[in-house]
Amino acid sequence: FNTNFSTHFWGPVANWGLPLAALADLKKDPEIISPKMTVALCFYSMLFMRFALQVKPKNRLLFACHFANECAQLMQLARFLNHKYGTPKPMKQYQVPSDLVQSK
Amino acid sequence: MFILSDVYRMLIGIGDRVLSTSMKKAVKWDHPAGPKYVHFWSPVMKSSLVMAGIGDLMRPAEKLSLNQSISLAATGLIWSRYCMVIIPKNYFLGLVNFALGLTGLQQLIRIAHYHHTHPKELTKN
Repeated sequence: FNTNFSTHFWGPVANWGLPLAALADLKKDPEIISPKMTVALCFYSMLFMRFALQVKPKNRLLFACHFANECAQLMQLARFLNHKYGTPKPMKQYQVPSDLVQSK
Repeated sequence: MFILSDVYRMLIGIGDRVLSTSMKKAVKWDHPAGPKYVHFWSPVMKSSLVMAGIGDLMRPAEKLSLNQSISLAATGLIWSRYCMVIIPKNYFLGLVNFALGLTGLQQLIRIAHYHHTHPKELTKN
């Protein structure tokens, strides 16, 4: 573990806020997902995964951050598309039997 | 993805052959922070986030994500400081990150204003 707490460390730490925010937002209403920002973040994280491995010295913490962000943003994008364009009735194999559904 | 690398390298090769030396000096083609190096392209990619943030001005304020606004503002402002400290200093990246921080801040202010004017609708965020 690299104990050198230089800017190479704190820069990616600041960037970790983005995947953590997206993970916290997974539980919330899909209404608050912004499609423009989510798509922009998907492309941005894809490119920065490569950037993190191409700079000298290789910044694996930044790579991990953007990998996590890419996964989180893709999940948010899927939720958004499902919410906006999906059908209200789920597919038959995903329907929970009514005796197992807990009433809120 | 490898295709994109090859397209990029082809374009750079064409630029190296076609541009004359004086044109290269005018455009700063061979500069260490120029279009041949990653220090140039990373702020270009990050500016797409700024543009997405500006595009979000159209969204109604109750549909903005509080968590994402906080993290964008924080990462933008912290990176704009660190761009001045790293070697080589990257003013382009600093500007883009500062703009990102401002975008995050304006989203936060919009959310705060919305909650201030609609005090009873605190269900979604």
